[in-house]
Amino acid sequence: MKKAALKAISKDVHKGKAVFSIFPGLCKGCGLCREKCPEGALSWSEELGVYGTPTVIPDPEKCKACRTCERVCPDCAIAITRKTGEDKD
Amino acid sequence: MDIQPKMPKSWNAATKPHKFCPGCGHGLILKALGQVIDEMGIQDRVVFGCDIGCSLLSWDFFNVDTVQTHHGRTTPVMVGIKKARPDRIVIAYMGDGGGYAIGSQHLVNAATRDDKITVILVNNTVYAMTGGQMAPTTMPGQKTETTPFGRDVEQAGYPMMGPEMVAAITQEGAYVARGSVAKFRKLKEYIRKALENQIAMRGFSFVEALSTCPTNWRTNAEKTWEFVEKIMPEQYPLGELKVPVIKEG
Repeated sequence: MKKAALKAISKDVHKGKAVFSIFPGLCKGCGLCREKCPEGALSWSEELGVYGTPTVIPDPEKCKACRTCERVCPDCAIAITRKTGEDKD
Repeated sequence: MDIQPKMPKSWNAATKPHKFCPGCGHGLILKALGQVIDEMGIQDRVVFGCDIGCSLLSWDFFNVDTVQTHHGRTTPVMVGIKKARPDRIVIAYMGDGGGYAIGSQHLVNAATRDDKITVILVNNTVYAMTGGQMAPTTMPGQKTETTPFGRDVEQAGYPMMGPEMVAAITQEGAYVARGSVAKFRKLKEYIRKALENQIAMRGFSFVEALSTCPTNWRTNAEKTWEFVEKIMPEQYPLGELKVPVIKEG
């Protein structure tokens, strides 16, 4: 993996209890996560992905860190880390 | 905090982002397979074979021994490897074009012989790499490059029901299931059972995975999910079609 792909853009979500990270070097902007989000928390970001398409960014108020987006991403471009409790799938 | 992408350990991180199109289901199926390989701890014993078509783009996907063959011949190549080295866990990975059209004889014969291999077949209803022509799995009425008015069953026949066919011609020890990228956890469970069935040397293991192809379906993310979640299962019912009876003792 190229070094650029490792650069993450992180954002505190779910009242600061979790961190949402997107890797623009991996995101191809397919939008599958955006449709699957049960809270409708994801919107297109200013940041561009590996193919020059928009990546996604969560609304910290709406995101519950349920990790659905992480699971449906075919490119593993989203990583959600919970600060408390188990980090199981 | 240094955050790393949550990729399965068996993935070859040096080749990521992978070569599939945005929104392609291959990434999800290979993620499920990678997670199962990690959980079972079999990375050093797996031999992965990919076929021609979009599935060949996975030739450098995993950090496992990989071979790429043409036109459904992944199945007999994997059978050969399994016969020579029974301790290896072989996975034949192919698309519907390779497995059901030009390479269907290999699939049929391997299933009839009840070879102890695992076949994962990706069904996206079109020939994706060549530009979205009608495949054996194109659904009645579905528009493709070569069926611009929808597939007419009078003229072009009915789609291939692969797992149903494999379930009918295999022996008792076979495992046959149809999963979908829309039901990721179930798909993972089916792949795990298929690999365990091979390790237990019970019989042929076959998993068909319904997949997405936004590029050739000409769909956006919303329509892609609708097609794979709602429309495809009407033609291709999900679930396990054949589960081996495990004898106690």
